[in-house]
Amino acid sequence: MSVAEVHPGGIAGHIHPEPQGFVRRYIFSIDHKIIGIQYLITGFVFFILAGLLAEVIRTQLLHANGGFVSNDTYNEVYSVHGSAMVWLVIIPLITGGFGNVLMPLMIGARDVAFPWLNLLSFWIFPVAGLMLFSSFLMGAPVAGWTEYPPMSLQSGPGTSMWCAAIFLVGVSSTLTGINFVVTMFKMRAPGMTFTRMPLFCWAQLATAPLLMIATTALAAALAALFMERQFGVPFFDPTKGGSPVMWQHMFWFYSHPAVYIMILPVFGMISEIIPTFARKPIFGYKMIAFSSMAIALAGFMVWAHHMFTSGLAPYLQLPFMILTFTIAIPTGVKIFSWTATLWGGKIHYTTSMLFAVGFVALFTLGGITGVLLAAVPFDLHVHGTYFIVAHFHYVLVGGSLMGLFAGMYFWFPKMSGRLLNETLGKWHFWLFFFGFNGTFLPQHWLGMLGMPRRVPIYDPQFQFWNDVSSISSYVMAVAILIFFVNVLYSLRNGKKAGANPWGARTLEWQIPSPPHYYNFKNIPTVYGLPYDFSQPLPYKGLDEELTDSPIAVGGH
Amino acid sequence: MAVASVSHGGLVSDAHHGEVDQLYVETRELRLQGFMLFLVSDLVLFSSFIFAYLYMRSSGQGWPPPGINRLDVAFAAVNSVILFGSGATMHYALENWKHGNFGKYSGFMVATIILGALFLGGQAYEYTNLIVHDHVTWGGSGIFGASFFTLTGMHGFHVTVGVIYLTILLLQSIHGTYTKEKFFGLTAGTLYWHFVDVIWVALFSIFYLI
Repeated sequence: MSVAEVHPGGIAGHIHPEPQGFVRRYIFSIDHKIIGIQYLITGFVFFILAGLLAEVIRTQLLHANGGFVSNDTYNEVYSVHGSAMVWLVIIPLITGGFGNVLMPLMIGARDVAFPWLNLLSFWIFPVAGLMLFSSFLMGAPVAGWTEYPPMSLQSGPGTSMWCAAIFLVGVSSTLTGINFVVTMFKMRAPGMTFTRMPLFCWAQLATAPLLMIATTALAAALAALFMERQFGVPFFDPTKGGSPVMWQHMFWFYSHPAVYIMILPVFGMISEIIPTFARKPIFGYKMIAFSSMAIALAGFMVWAHHMFTSGLAPYLQLPFMILTFTIAIPTGVKIFSWTATLWGGKIHYTTSMLFAVGFVALFTLGGITGVLLAAVPFDLHVHGTYFIVAHFHYVLVGGSLMGLFAGMYFWFPKMSGRLLNETLGKWHFWLFFFGFNGTFLPQHWLGMLGMPRRVPIYDPQFQFWNDVSSISSYVMAVAILIFFVNVLYSLRNGKKAGANPWGARTLEWQIPSPPHYYNFKNIPTVYGLPYDFSQPLPYKGLDEELTDSPIAVGGH
Repeated sequence: MAVASVSHGGLVSDAHHGEVDQLYVETRELRLQGFMLFLVSDLVLFSSFIFAYLYMRSSGQGWPPPGINRLDVAFAAVNSVILFGSGATMHYALENWKHGNFGKYSGFMVATIILGALFLGGQAYEYTNLIVHDHVTWGGSGIFGASFFTLTGMHGFHVTVGVIYLTILLLQSIHGTYTKEKFFGLTAGTLYWHFVDVIWVALFSIFYLI
């Protein structure tokens, strides 16, 4: 049978022939699910490497005099740790990883709009990651993940490698963003209007333009830094007429939206997980969807709040401060909606749900310190201290990473066909939760007392809380080890999941786990929101009518 | 075979021509939107450098900086007219393709490619003048040289890519890749060329006029 015969009805009827052979199926695959899983595996490998760097940092800080690694090495370690966690771990995992696996399934599509472009996006990513880590061989960047000039102009050749690596990750992200926008605009199943789209897809729809637009702005900054380092073109060196503050503008014009790239898709995951385990329709569907868009839009107007101490004119400080405050409103709308969804729900405390609820709590704390930092007088006091470190780790670890784990426990069965072990999962959650708070809560106090970030040695008065922080970080490492053991164990020995272990209602749960190569035999027609738990499923034309199966694990 | 195994699931039905064309129409929609979004992100790349240029220019003392002459507006204006003219010929090339006038299409395409190459030649002449006579260089003339050569160089790179791209499109259409109904490549080429034109409007304004 020729391929042309299976093309009735445009793209919805079109499937690529299933590739044969291991390489075409699992290495250079154009299947969005495989590509997504490739992103997850690669991202988690980089996560382990960057996590080990984090433990080097905490081990160095066990003693006020340091001594674990040299001071120069310490600079390299925290710079690569930050860069890798942002660009090689969080962003690829939640956009390329979860976005690729889930978004086409959730909108009832057979694949993304440009599968070959998707293949290219993915394969740029591990290459860029290896380039970033290889910068250790030639003198890694030392000016932190933000690489402010003039420091970044004076450091070793690894900094140029860093520019190239981050530029490449950016290309990969931009292509993914374009792919996702077109997919969501053009390839939704019949009847799936924008206001019936699952909230995870809304979150990806808010993130994709950030990937496209903000990342390109960063590419310009990186190109300029690269040109200045390699060819002496004076963009940032003040002695040649450049401006170091300009780098900060260009960098933060990307990197503040990037903060939302790192959290919006996780908001989306949480919005799927909480109603499922509370067995209640999500509260305020439209408000959650629109607040994602509001956050994405406002994210472009607040970058200079990172620069209050960089000589920003006072008449600019006030608008940036006020605009930053306003971002707390759509974010608060989400927190409120999740809480209201939980309220009076029949809550099942699965591991996934524990992580989701933990996310809401810890992200809220990180958000509140964010509002504090937006206030100019307070920011001037704690800028460049451990308070900042505590703040963004609450948002990125307590927020993004907790949400990522919630998503892993929730969707791992869909990807692999097997459930993750709940006992190991509970150990993972509680050790991680306490380890995390033990690591980063004391850093608020260290910062308030004036301990600067990015220092290899410190005043002995800070010793006690640093020790608490370091020892707690080892607990976190154990928790993460348990997670990886769990994944490897459950891949072979986990309980069979079936199509819909959680009784969830979005489209990806209405097809077998793992889904067929072509996702849906028939593209279903959608009649309503996926969150009305008391109603029959709002889909017609699914090949196998799966009934809501009872919840498989946990739940009291 | 896996595709065959789903034959009773509704995927496979008798293919007839109208439905294959629907696939083409929908695919073209996707590609058009994807290409537009690519141009948007490219626009952001230019905008970032333009922002950087304006920021540094406004924070310095006077423009052009002391010791550097104003750029030659007259020459650049002529060169701009050449580029804008190529935008017009590109437009007529696509229109003629749509109406099936293959001869006129080829003529306008060749004209577009020649005008694009002429523009590049003009830019090379201007660069040479600046570097040899005025001693204004990429790395040695402060932010003036840095921003001027980076931005116009990026644009020149886009024009170069465009000239090559249009040449490939012309060869493809001679070879018979496109038909009167299916010519997405030509649409994309036209969009790209107009995009490069529009960028030049911005660059000409900020470097030569203000």
